[in-house]
Amino acid sequence: MTTVTRLLRTADELATGTFDRAFKAAHNPWRHLGALAFLCLVLVVLSGMVAYALYDTSVSGAYQSGLRLQNDPSGLGRLLRGLHRYGADACMLLTLLHLAREVLRGHFRGVRWFSWLTGIPLLWLLWIAGITGLWLLWDERAIFSVTATAEWLQALPLSGELLARNFLTADTLNDRFFSLIMFVHIGMPLLVLAAMWVHVQRVSRVRIWPPRSLTRASLAMLALLALVVPVLSLGQANTGYVLQRLSIDWFFQFLHPLVDLLSAQITWLLAAVLTLGLALLPLLPARDDRPRVAARVDPANCNGCTRCVADCPFGAVTMVARTDASRHPAQAQVDSALCAACGICVGACPSATPFRRGDAIVSGIEMPQTPIAALRRELQRKLSALNGAKKIVVFGCRQASDFDALADAATAVLTLECAAMLPPSFLEYAMHLGASGVLIAGCRESDCEFRLGDRWVNERLLGQREPRLRKSAPVHRIELAWSGRDMLYAGAAVTRLRSRVLHSTGPDAHHREGIHTK
Amino acid sequence: MSSPLPAPLRYLLQALAYAAFAAVVGYFSSFPLYRQLGDQEAVLKLSFSHSGQLKFACRERSAQELAKVEPNMRNKMDCPRERAAVLVELDMDGKPLYRVNTAPLGLRMDGAATVYRRLAIPAGAHQFSARLADGPDGVINYSRSVNVNLTPGQVLIIDFLTGSGGFVFTHS
Repeated sequence: MTTVTRLLRTADELATGTFDRAFKAAHNPWRHLGALAFLCLVLVVLSGMVAYALYDTSVSGAYQSGLRLQNDPSGLGRLLRGLHRYGADACMLLTLLHLAREVLRGHFRGVRWFSWLTGIPLLWLLWIAGITGLWLLWDERAIFSVTATAEWLQALPLSGELLARNFLTADTLNDRFFSLIMFVHIGMPLLVLAAMWVHVQRVSRVRIWPPRSLTRASLAMLALLALVVPVLSLGQANTGYVLQRLSIDWFFQFLHPLVDLLSAQITWLLAAVLTLGLALLPLLPARDDRPRVAARVDPANCNGCTRCVADCPFGAVTMVARTDASRHPAQAQVDSALCAACGICVGACPSATPFRRGDAIVSGIEMPQTPIAALRRELQRKLSALNGAKKIVVFGCRQASDFDALADAATAVLTLECAAMLPPSFLEYAMHLGASGVLIAGCRESDCEFRLGDRWVNERLLGQREPRLRKSAPVHRIELAWSGRDMLYAGAAVTRLRSRVLHSTGPDAHHREGIHTK
Repeated sequence: MSSPLPAPLRYLLQALAYAAFAAVVGYFSSFPLYRQLGDQEAVLKLSFSHSGQLKFACRERSAQELAKVEPNMRNKMDCPRERAAVLVELDMDGKPLYRVNTAPLGLRMDGAATVYRRLAIPAGAHQFSARLADGPDGVINYSRSVNVNLTPGQVLIIDFLTGSGGFVFTHS
């Protein structure tokens, strides 16, 4: 990881942490950038439908349509224009932030390549949808932008036709231009919606919408912005004069200053390099050189319970007809192309319990790199090597941090691909072997590298999801620390847990609220 | 990671976050203003689409030539479609401002020659001289000079329309 990437990752962590404190993790807008962009897109589409009904697609009527809305005494016109324009701007901004965050987190490689690649055309489609909308107002900004875009397009050696000649004089333009632009302006968002559908196809339990509190507040913010800072048209488009200084929408019209600065050809080259560069990102080598081996189903131990199907965050597990003579009707099957090798399916498997007899236990679904038997052996070995009155076992998620730093004479650390790879029975097993307390440490809450790990761990331990932690489990000896890369916090969680089990004199708490989640 | 904040402080931070986002959206939606032209500058747009003269004259095919082709293709006249490049020179106040020699469009070089050029020029009174050569010999066969007083921001369009006698200078 380069210094720049590390700095940016730290900035992202800082932003995530700050937003977590202000909004709480589940409602952190920094984690819902894609969903918020979608919300803005829907707002733009809905407000656009109303605006279209009020729009006159003619040279003489286009500009007046904008004026009518902004001068509407009821203020509804201003609200409509503001929601439409600011919604589009916010959509673009949120999309870029979403892209930047996914790049920083390396979410373009592995099983995410499909979502990544299908997201790239969205940038172009959104941009086209936005910039054509600005032309429809047919003010000075529109004539500047449409001419500059035509000049940019005709720099491509595809056709000798001079698009910009269409905007030389007022006489060269007719009403059909506005019909054409309206067609593009409506068509692009429809394509965006279709492309978004494809974009999330390989993600299970996708969150299309942001949490309600974020939705309400975001819409209120945009409405307030629309009323306080109304969107206003400039003067009517004039081919005979240009404004020396012009107000432009930088979210969509950034292209024009760039072309003036670099030339149309270089800007095309830049756009091509950027697009191609983004498309080639999945080919970058992974941060760690650990080979990702897909989960493997052992039909002899698979009873077809479908829990792995329900928990897989990428839809890599499906149920198929049995390949053996078992009485169970179906068995799990892993699509290795979709498998992120997170091991969440192992954590969901009822046969992945360490209490089973025999040394060579095999789970119905296994991670070949970390079989459940090997995990049990490692736990046994590390626990037996611990000294001290209060032994602590830390199950740490590899994606969050290197928790080995927490290991000491009384603390054993076991590393998992994801915290949710751990079946709850392992917690009891660790305590059964003599651990005084067990800590599960992983990515920040709602920030699981594999999307759903922290959620499944929480639900399993709270008894809301199979496989559940048994009601009789000593929950006050269990601590969850969604610490991310914050090792100080993880260390403090170990200290807190040790202190709690050290001072525990009464019987074990038998209510699930006793699990300490931070 | 730190301990949770008190609710009022959380709400205040949330409000600040929304306000900051709204400020970014609201500001960059219209600002900063983009300077596309200097305060004392005007714009000149030279643009036309004009077909140059045919590069070669028609000639009559010989009997031997006709015999070599299929009967349905025995056209007596051979008229090459290729057109001459169009040369344009534009002077401002007696000094060369722009010069271009544009090849015809099309794979067979039989289309129109097109020019589009936008230039920022100082506002004020200027004399413009435009010359065009569209024949195979490259001899100037169209020219026109005009005096124009351009105010800052004003656009002067120079087009070429054969039907209008050549160069057309338009400004509002």
